[in-house]
Amino acid sequence: MTDLFDTIDPYVWLAILGVTAATFITRSSLFVLGARVQFPPVVEAALRFAPACALAAIVAADLAFIEGQLSIDVSNHKLIAGCIGIVIFSITRSIIGTIGGGMIAFWLLHFWLPML
Amino acid sequence: MSESSRRDAALRGARELLPLSPGIFAWGLVTGVAMVKSGLSTVDATILSLLAYAGSAQLAAMPLIATLAPLWLVTLTAIIVNLRFVVYTALLRPHFTHLSAGRRLWLGYIIGDIMFVRFTSLLQQEPNYPHKVAYYTGGALANWVIWQVSSLIGIFAASVIPPSWGLELAGTLALVALLVPLCRQWPALAGATAAAVVAVLAHSLPLRLGLLCGVVVGIAVALLVDQQLRRRTSSERVS
Repeated sequence: MTDLFDTIDPYVWLAILGVTAATFITRSSLFVLGARVQFPPVVEAALRFAPACALAAIVAADLAFIEGQLSIDVSNHKLIAGCIGIVIFSITRSIIGTIGGGMIAFWLLHFWLPML
Repeated sequence: MSESSRRDAALRGARELLPLSPGIFAWGLVTGVAMVKSGLSTVDATILSLLAYAGSAQLAAMPLIATLAPLWLVTLTAIIVNLRFVVYTALLRPHFTHLSAGRRLWLGYIIGDIMFVRFTSLLQQEPNYPHKVAYYTGGALANWVIWQVSSLIGIFAASVIPPSWGLELAGTLALVALLVPLCRQWPALAGATAAAVVAVLAHSLPLRLGLLCGVVVGIAVALLVDQQLRRRTSSERVS
């Protein structure tokens, strides 16, 4: 029964609505405004480079930290697996190969190496 | 005739997303698990996933919700993590201006990182493809379905998948596969490198603002390198 009461906590519901509102605000406002908003050329140029920069920032922040601690050395198995992923993709251009190869590398380092 | 070719385009959009689906699936699974592990009930996590459809924003907002942070802070955090979608939609906007406002609202809502990259490469390869909207809708809906199914599996499997499997790494590896082909030119490579370094250095900032700092610095570096290269090629042409 307490579970049921937990699920009608108004704070959590308002928080869910807040995150949902954030989704609509960031994704739909420019589409809905349509051609009425025009960006200056510098902004247009900046937008071209933004996806690469955003992905690089997310990937780096994901790989460089273990439980919130900066870890840029061989003990960071995620980082090694990520670098292996970059190499695999550069050679094969295969997305599934990158994900599969990277995960296998991670599991080998993480589970198999300590047993040696 | 046109009806069936639109349907073909939607199916093609969905089909061309499939090679990326292991990454989407892994991310959804991880997000589902993480929501429950950080304290949301199964019902709340399901509703959050179905309504917000925003993996990284959900993950960023979770610690705040768990500590009963102010609602404005939860919403602002989600907006900041989602800012990249303002960039994506600014780029895609010209392709959708002929549609009704309601349709555009909906097309914006279903955009995802991976579908955005797929759709951009279609626009580069076939700029005059006649059924862009159908292709986009088919791919984005496939993205939505894969995400929600995996997220729900994650929510209900939260108690059985051990965190030591490191499944979130599969999501990161999918992003790696999207990132590498974007860095083929010098300005983008320089910008991405700068973004990565700054995001790591500024990681301790609250609200995951370090990501935003990385993006801003990265774009500035890319623009500078782009400008330098243009200046050099134009001066070579003069001499």
